[in-house]
Order: sequence, then C-alpha cells, then structure tokens
Amino acid sequence: MTSNTPRRVVPQPDELTQPFWDAAAENKLVVQRCQDCQFWSHPPRIMCNKCHSLNQKYEQVSGKGRLYSWAVMHMQSITGFEDRVPYTTLLVELEEQPKLLLLSYMDGSDEGLKVGQPCEVYFEKVEDFTLPQFRVLK
Amino acid sequence: MAWEGKGKTAVVGLGMSKLTRRADKPLGALALDACYAAIADAGLKPSDIDGLATYPDQPFRGAGNRDGEDLVNALFLMTHGEFAPDIKWYAQISTGMIASAPIEGVNALMSGACNYVLFWRAMHIPKGTYNSFRGYQAGGDGQFGAPYGHVHGYQTHAMAYRHYLNKYNHNREKMAALVTNSRKNANLNPNAFFHEQPMSVEDYLNARMIADPLALFDCDVPVEGCTALVMTTADRAKDLKNKPAYIAGYGQNTAHRPEYMTYMIDDYLAAGRPHAGKIYERAGMGPKDIDVAELYDGFSPSTLYWLEAAGFCGEGEALDFVQNGNVSLTGSLPLNTFGGSLSEGRLHGMGHLAEAVRQVTDRAEGRQIKGANTSIAIDGSPLLRGSGMIFTREP
Ligand SMILES: [Zn+2]
Repeated sequence: MTSNTPRRVVPQPDELTQPFWDAAAENKLVVQRCQDCQFWSHPPRIMCNKCHSLNQKYEQVSGKGRLYSWAVMHMQSITGFEDRVPYTTLLVELEEQPKLLLLSYMDGSDEGLKVGQPCEVYFEKVEDFTLPQFRVLK
Repeated sequence: MAWEGKGKTAVVGLGMSKLTRRADKPLGALALDACYAAIADAGLKPSDIDGLATYPDQPFRGAGNRDGEDLVNALFLMTHGEFAPDIKWYAQISTGMIASAPIEGVNALMSGACNYVLFWRAMHIPKGTYNSFRGYQAGGDGQFGAPYGHVHGYQTHAMAYRHYLNKYNHNREKMAALVTNSRKNANLNPNAFFHEQPMSVEDYLNARMIADPLALFDCDVPVEGCTALVMTTADRAKDLKNKPAYIAGYGQNTAHRPEYMTYMIDDYLAAGRPHAGKIYERAGMGPKDIDVAELYDGFSPSTLYWLEAAGFCGEGEALDFVQNGNVSLTGSLPLNTFGGSLSEGRLHGMGHLAEAVRQVTDRAEGRQIKGANTSIAIDGSPLLRGSGMIFTREP
C-alpha cells in the first residue's frame, strides 16, 4: 500500500459481533442462530428475529448461496473505495435460509451478472481483519 | 364505520422559505421565517401557537446535529420563537418519518392538549462534501456493510430497485415517464428548485449513474429550506381566513420486522398495504376515492412501491401505470403535482403534505386539479418506514 492510497474501512467489533470476526480470521463463515427455533439472523441481534428468544449462538454455515441483488457504485464517497469506482456490491442469499442476506464486494461493473447465480465464500485480508467475501460462479 | 376523528382537525396555514442550495441566512432563521409566514397565512398571531411538532431525523448518518444550524428542533423554536408564552404541548418524532409529527398534532388537538399546532421541517446542506463516509472504522450493523464499500441509503435502494426490476421484468427506461412528469409539474411550481429547468426523457436517461440502477435524477435534490403548516380543530378552523384542509385519516408503518436494510428489499407490499390500509380505514375510503396522490420520492422507485401498496395499481404494475400521461395533471391519478422531492427539493415529505393541503383548498395555482375533493400524502418508503394522511375539502 502506498502512502497516498486511502486506508480501507475496517469493522469495529463489539461484544455481539466479535465471534463473527474471530471465526473469519480462521477462514470460517459463521452466522448467528437461535438455539430455540433454529432461525438464522444476520446482522446479529440480541433477540431472535422470529421467536424472541435470547438464546443465540454462532454456527458455521456452508458459505454457499445465490446472488439476490446488486448495485454498481459510482460515487467516490466511502473511505478507501474512492479509486475503485465503478465497483459492485453484491447481496448474497445463503442457502441455509430464505432472505438470509450478506453483503460482499466485487471489482468492476456488473457485466454478465444475473439474479440467482451461485456464489461461494472466500476470505480477504484487510489490515488486521479477515473479511468473508463472495465470488459469483459463472 | 370511519374513525371518530375524521374531519375533526384541519390544516389552516402554509408557509415556505425559498428552497436553495445555499441559503443567505442560518437555518434556524429561515425556519422562523417559514413558521411566521404559515401563522400569518392562517390569519393568526404567533402568540396563538401553543403546540409544536417536528420530525428531527437527518438524511444520513454523520450529518451535523447542532440545533438551529444543521436542523431545527422543538427546543430551538421554543427558545427563539415568539409564540404563546406557555407552550402547552410539543412532539418531536422520528419513528414513521415526517407525517408522524402532524399525526401527533391531530391527537393533541383532539384531546384538547392545545389549540393551534405549528408543524415544520427544515433541511440544511453543510459546506463541503455532502453525504460521504470518511471513517476508518465501522461499528454497529455498518461493520457488515462499510468494509465492503456499502454504506449509503442510495446503495440499498439501488439493490431493492434492481430486485424489483428483475422480479417484474421491467427496465429503468420506463421510469423516465414518472420523473419527467414530476419535472413538468415542478415547472408549474414557483417554489420548486427546478422550476426553471425542463427535463426531457433523454436528459433523464443520459444523466450520470449514482448507484446503478439509480441515476442522478432518480435521487431527490438536496436543498436548504423550511416548510411549515398550522393545524387546529375543525371548529376553530371555521372562523379562520383560509379554506381548511380537513384531515380525514392517518396511518403509520407497523410492519413487524427488524430495521436492517437488507431485510426490507422484498416486503414492500406486506409492509405498505397495512400502512395505506390504516389511512383508508380511518377515512372510510379506498384508492378509488382519491383525486390526487402525493407519494414520497426520496428515490424514484419509492413512488412505485407506494402506488402498488396504496392500491392504485396491482403488484409489479406501477411502471406501466405511470406511462402515457396516466399520472399527469390531466390523467386518471395526478401524482406528485408539485414536482415531488425529485424536482421541488428534499424536504422529507413535507412538500407532499403541503401540496396535498393545497390541492383540496384550491391553492395549487397553475397545477390545481379542478374540484379535487380528496388527496393523499404518504412519506417514507414501505421498504423502511413511513406515515401518511388523507385530506378532504369537506369535513
Ligand atoms: Zn428463535
């Protein structure tokens, strides 16, 4: 990284989210799951989005999903992404549950992308963090 | 049976500042001008105002919040406004967006908590780069977005819009009909930011992308300015100088869902139908009874979602519904007759409420829908949150 390249934004983990980033550091994708009704929630919540139980734990997921939607960003308005426009942010629906949606980054524009394309997780090092990312399988 | 509050309260005064990119005075002073103008328009004295209501949220995370400079809260007006020495009631409500404040005004007036409610919304554009994320760390839910280059509301709206276009097999070119219709209406609205600037279909289609599929003219235009309304009971309204715009019904979004952007993409009908349904139910009306619709357009697709959720057309049909002049001033459903936030300016739905009032009181000048008896204004987005009202010519 050269000195005039802006630093990328990194996560600021808290008590609720720390296990997600700890697992990512070991190249594992985990998502919070209700231990009473098995409903998955992302981002994590203190209370189950379905049955309101407080009994939540992270469990590893397969890392497979489908492309749900995306947007091609043209504005230079986020730290560390100024020189990357246009780039695409992906919304990936994990196979574990309908509308269990995670965001991901993809270089460049959206040529050839189609809703429903299969996606799989990979891990990217950014400074002291490991980000779970998704690649679209053509 | 309609709600017992139907027609019991009314809007009786309107005041607006100029809507510009850079105002020549601080926002707090601009807001006071608009408020005093609304009070004078109602034929009242500032000392008659004994209730205050506003919506305090900023348009994006990280916007300033110094009262009187970046926004204008109830405390600023209580301190600097020459209203009744004893303000009897006030409300500052963010849940449900802007119409939540006049909804509480209706409730306060009906309960007898106060006699005259002043309701305002003031918006500021800070100097420098607007709406940028310049942090190096992202906390809260943002830690699952910002490190991936996804921060802004418009990026999420773009994803939701792409999902909609794909699901119902539309293309973004069809949106030109809605956006240019709003611009034509703004060209008839002397207070609109884009009053002097026409827009062709080509202008719309050739504008630069913001977050594809949202381009520049799919996003509302940020302005500095303030609009204010005065409300009172129907009994008191009879003795005032303006025709009252009676409030027939109201409703808020009450969808049961966690507030996180990516949950909202596919449930605009599940969330929006009960919301619009509450407005209709209280008013004892349905979509066929509405003469004019002012439907929020912070981003142009939001208007599509409202057209469907409020029952003006079927699921996935809004982009066809807005074609061929159907939503023009002479169409079957005149829509965003003042230009919307897209072409009048971003007042977070205040412009929609003010225009709905004008249309049922014959005050909409060159864009007046002759004999309009009913109007609906809904703000926010059914993807997120919102609130709305029906106004009528007769109580
Ligand atoms: Zn549960």
